[in-house]
Amino acid sequence: MKQPLIWITAMTAALLPAGAALAVDHNNVDAHRPLSFDDAESLAYREQALEFGLNLVWPRNRPLGAGLEGEYLYGFARNSHASIGFEPSIGGRAGGADTSFDPGNVSLGLFHNFNRQYGNTPAFSLRGDVFFPTGRHAQGTAFRLRGIASRQAGQYGRLHLNVDLTGNPGARSGEREFQPGLVLGYSRPIGYPTHFQTTGLAEVSVRSGEERGTGPVIGVGIGMRRQVGNRSVVDLGIQSDVAASGGAPRDRLRFIAGYSAGF
Amino acid sequence: MDTLNRSLLTAAVLLALGGAQAAWAQHGTAQHGGAPPIGEAELRELPQLPDKLPSWLDNKQKNHLFYRRGKYNFDVYNLPTLARDLNAVSVGHAMAYEDLVTGKAAGLETKTFARIDHVLKYPPKFMPDEAALSPTFGRKYGVLEQVFDWTHVLHAQTVDVLASKQLSEVEKDREIERLWKFYFDSVPYAVTPLPLNMDYLYSQPYSKKFRDTYKKVNGLFWGYHWLQGAMYDMLYRASPEDQKAAYELLGDQYHKTELYRMDRHFMPMFAEVSPVFAARFPHIANAFDNLHMLHDMVNDILATPELAEKQKDEQIKLAIWMVSAEAHRSEKPGDQSADRLHDHRHFVGMPGMGMMTGMTPELMWMPAMGWMSMADCHHCTMPLWEGADWWRNPTVTADGWSMRVRCPLCARDMSAETKGRSMLRIPTEDPTRVVVVLSDEQGNLKTSTPRVVFLENEGSHAGCDEWSRAFSSRSAFDAYVTAHPNLKGAKPLSFEEWAQRQGEKPDTYVKPKGPSENPYTHQEHGK
Repeated sequence: MKQPLIWITAMTAALLPAGAALAVDHNNVDAHRPLSFDDAESLAYREQALEFGLNLVWPRNRPLGAGLEGEYLYGFARNSHASIGFEPSIGGRAGGADTSFDPGNVSLGLFHNFNRQYGNTPAFSLRGDVFFPTGRHAQGTAFRLRGIASRQAGQYGRLHLNVDLTGNPGARSGEREFQPGLVLGYSRPIGYPTHFQTTGLAEVSVRSGEERGTGPVIGVGIGMRRQVGNRSVVDLGIQSDVAASGGAPRDRLRFIAGYSAGF
Repeated sequence: MDTLNRSLLTAAVLLALGGAQAAWAQHGTAQHGGAPPIGEAELRELPQLPDKLPSWLDNKQKNHLFYRRGKYNFDVYNLPTLARDLNAVSVGHAMAYEDLVTGKAAGLETKTFARIDHVLKYPPKFMPDEAALSPTFGRKYGVLEQVFDWTHVLHAQTVDVLASKQLSEVEKDREIERLWKFYFDSVPYAVTPLPLNMDYLYSQPYSKKFRDTYKKVNGLFWGYHWLQGAMYDMLYRASPEDQKAAYELLGDQYHKTELYRMDRHFMPMFAEVSPVFAARFPHIANAFDNLHMLHDMVNDILATPELAEKQKDEQIKLAIWMVSAEAHRSEKPGDQSADRLHDHRHFVGMPGMGMMTGMTPELMWMPAMGWMSMADCHHCTMPLWEGADWWRNPTVTADGWSMRVRCPLCARDMSAETKGRSMLRIPTEDPTRVVVVLSDEQGNLKTSTPRVVFLENEGSHAGCDEWSRAFSSRSAFDAYVTAHPNLKGAKPLSFEEWAQRQGEKPDTYVKPKGPSENPYTHQEHGK
């Protein structure tokens, strides 16, 4: 267990100084920073960003676990960005009994924003990710399609509806090949009209259980993003799978802390 | 697959096909305004949209572009108070626009003003996201927001360059041109660099509505524009120490006076407050003036209750078109046209300023200053330096204005004639080294460049460009005197000696006389 911890620490240390002079905006929300939903905004054309976070997981009937999430994003065209991500973890996790270090899958993603919100039409984006089986016991290349709609809710709040379809053609027997999911997120700047550095976030999610025969898992989360530099943001969040049916594995709590920088 | 999973899958497919857009479209916030269409009796005929407009004026994309990368980005924070004041400017604009489009215009002079004023007094540490502060405005006028944002990026980056401690003055000039090219070439909605006829743009049927209805908030807007112009000459070719000292003076003027001025007839023009930068980069000065005029036109449109929502949308689109580069493609500075939208004349001696109300290319008018030629020294009326020697003109900045003069003596004596604190920028023999001199309320002068050496062999002002000069060193002084035998025996003056002197009244001074006492009151009174 010592080696993976050293590895995670080294990765974190390598990323931190890079981010110090870099950027993003607290008002723009990407998945995992800190909750699970995206807003419909892509990166600016030619913008790059590094986003990473540490999470501490307390799964039901499992020991504590920890993970590192990292993502590099690049605005390769107007209203579009590509991303590459990784998510190593160690310790307990909801999906299985193994607690040893797992380098996790490497993902490649594409995000395209079709329109900003205009009139009463919400901003609309699609995101597609493929997950290469680099993780321990991973089989086959999985994918996820995510439709994202964001719209103003109240004067300053925004609602973000994410509808997911995750596919895993290499699923083992007893596992679902396709798992739909849905997240309704809410973001709102905190402190207006005197402070302009913080955005509060909340979400409710429903996703299909991974195992056949298990029911859906319902999750909730709250978090915040705070501008700490001209182009850098820290985020904190807490999520919980509050209900699941049919014995679907779930996390009691997940604590997330992250840092994003655009450059 | 169980029922719930099937439902979720169906929802995913629907959303992917865009069905959610239609569903959500039913739940939008109410449209504000709702005034009946404008009547001919109430308002003069509104200008019509041209038949063929480019598609970018109707784009529905976000089209967010990243700024040009450079080691100077965010160097405005070398001057933390200026950086914060500029952050507050963004908040002020956004708050006012959001209130205008959400039915809160009635509180603009009270609640909105108080909110903005608080932010101006306690400015934010980081540049806020304007789109987050004015989401309703952005939803309604997304293309306008793109034009504003992209030109604001040019504003921010040029200031970063000027505040950089890493770039040389030559590198700064070069990078500013690159930034302009980047700005201009990256989008179809760049603002035109040509001088536009400001009188024409500010004579639309809705013009002056905001200025006359919301005097206090308009004062704030024009105060921001004053700062966004005045900071350029303050930063240009000045050392980091001088920039800091100068912003103490300029920031004080901004906070105490410029933000709360309600007696302006017209927005501050870039060349009125940064004439050196405007002469050096007229395309940028014009683009910023045109952007600020677009702000004024939009303010007026939004503040005109007689306009129905559709008319507001059309007039804002037309205003964007009027100031866009595309509307003036293949036209040149100086072009004159019967169609005043395409009148690109500028003032003689100042290519960075379009024609103004009641003025002629030869004569410009400023409050408290009266009529003047922008080609001549404002102290001795002799011609200013131009062409390759454009950089040799000193400037005097006081009480919100900035004037170019011909020589250090003219700068010093003009400063002595003005009330309050002032700032003098005095070029030396080196184009990249400007001596900044600050004057206190009593007229005492100080500089952070005490080793500067002055030549002042006073004679007729017809030759003040030769006998009044500043040098960065004694050796530069000696070399100049040696090269000019008629100055043989001239005494080098230390800064202290020079600061104590006062010249004779210039023998060449002629007060220009304009066609009216005040062109703005002349026009508004219908004379």
